[in-house]
Amino acid sequence: MDAVAQSVVHRWLAEALALMVEHEAELGRLDAAAGDGDHGATMVRGLRAASAALTGATGSSGQLLQQAGAAFADAGGASGALVGALLATAGQQLGDGPCDLPTVTAALRAGADQVARLGKAQPGDKTLLDALYPFLRALAAPPPTQSLTVAWKAALPAAEQGAAATSSLVARRGRAAKLGARSLGHPDPGAVSITYLLRALLATEL
Amino acid sequence: MTVLYNDPTHFREELIEGFVAAYGRLVRRVPDASGVIATQPRPRSQVALVIGGGSGHYPAFCGYVGPGLASAAVMGNVFAAPSAEQIYRVTRAAAGDGGVLFCYGNYSGDVLNFDLAEQRCQAEGLEVRTVRVTDDVASAPQGEESERRGIAGDFFVFKIAGASAARGDDLETVARLAQKANDQTRSFGVAFGGCTLPGQSAPLFVVEPGQMELGLGVHGEPGIQSSHLRPAHEIAGLLLETLLANAPAALPPRVGVLLNGLGSTQYEELFVLYKDVHRLLVAAGLAPYHPVVAEMVTSLDMAGCSLSLCWLDDELLPLFDAPCTSAAYTKF
Repeated sequence: MDAVAQSVVHRWLAEALALMVEHEAELGRLDAAAGDGDHGATMVRGLRAASAALTGATGSSGQLLQQAGAAFADAGGASGALVGALLATAGQQLGDGPCDLPTVTAALRAGADQVARLGKAQPGDKTLLDALYPFLRALAAPPPTQSLTVAWKAALPAAEQGAAATSSLVARRGRAAKLGARSLGHPDPGAVSITYLLRALLATEL
Repeated sequence: MTVLYNDPTHFREELIEGFVAAYGRLVRRVPDASGVIATQPRPRSQVALVIGGGSGHYPAFCGYVGPGLASAAVMGNVFAAPSAEQIYRVTRAAAGDGGVLFCYGNYSGDVLNFDLAEQRCQAEGLEVRTVRVTDDVASAPQGEESERRGIAGDFFVFKIAGASAARGDDLETVARLAQKANDQTRSFGVAFGGCTLPGQSAPLFVVEPGQMELGLGVHGEPGIQSSHLRPAHEIAGLLLETLLANAPAALPPRVGVLLNGLGSTQYEELFVLYKDVHRLLVAAGLAPYHPVVAEMVTSLDMAGCSLSLCWLDDELLPLFDAPCTSAAYTKF
């Protein structure tokens, strides 16, 4: 990959970190409804670790994403393992391929499927998958020649609506699942934070 | 309120440094990893018991490392599971030739990360088995025992697994006995006040005056249900009734007992409660054996307590009785 494509991952991480810091308290409050209130902090910690790992790093977008995923995972927690696996698997699938719509969609789908496998979760379990799978469906709608940025922007509302709709779901995975109905009425913090990761890519001017 | 910290993002790192500085006679830091390992050498053929979980639960998990107990503990950030990478590094440092038993509370973050580390170790030819602690009766109904989360029952499972490993049992046996200890342990707790994460100004949940939360979690999760606060002797009855309604079937009356403080409930209050717990245990036909009234698995500065019972049959009793030394628990 050329120098411009390499720096997409760096710029995406910087933007994602800024967005996550901005929303850290909100994510914490959502998590406290049925969990331990640290989701915002965990995401910020993971993104900081990924940014640190990528300082001065070079390689294809796929390689950089894999490094970012490994560093994110090492920040710990369930979110660390899951989001780290999402990034690393997407990076592995992306490899040295181009950052066009079909290639990136396939990479993100591979990442989402890996999260589902690791977390033993399905759509409807009130997890980040409830934002990610609707996003992937929306991303698959336009013709493959569509620009990634345009398709991404058009698909983002599907992720945000998916995240918002988790309010009416009862958690079936994770720590929140132990509290059953207490998770009702609040969106899943992991589904909300994934929309920020997706939105951050738009600011990188692919 | 968590008061003593410098930079909240360095809380884990600084607590590991301080713990190792204080208990260097028992543990040392695993180089380049968030974990501690026992200083006393073990025969290489012994099973290595590796425990772990988030920080914020002291003496779980580092306080359980020492002869007759855990070989090593992996420490995550506050209330966050340690990463698979850290678990792998600590496991590599602790493993001899006898294989490794992973033992930890059943939380999705811990399961995810320990399973990933287990797969990596297995791929390298290191034999690993896993026993998850699932003692909290509030977290899933009967029939779904393996879905329950692990709270103070860690104490009994770690003690028995550690004693079995120290006795020289093979990995199969250590895992079987740890699983048996878990299957014969039940816990239930109540909370009177939430805990505050380092760097935060508000607790994770608030218990209204005159109320208490039943079925608390040890990560600041609110209880399963709110109820009115009542005198200690009624709380003792409530805890015991709930445990006995969820007791394992047909076991001898001898039970290990842990009345566990969660962080900011006074020891003397716990003894007031224990007076009635003990009386009610005996009245129920049970024989309390070497009860422990102490903080063994905490939740930062949470107010509350939990009661754990471990049914000690003839196979588990000598393991519970075996000597051990650690920062948290020593038995002669």
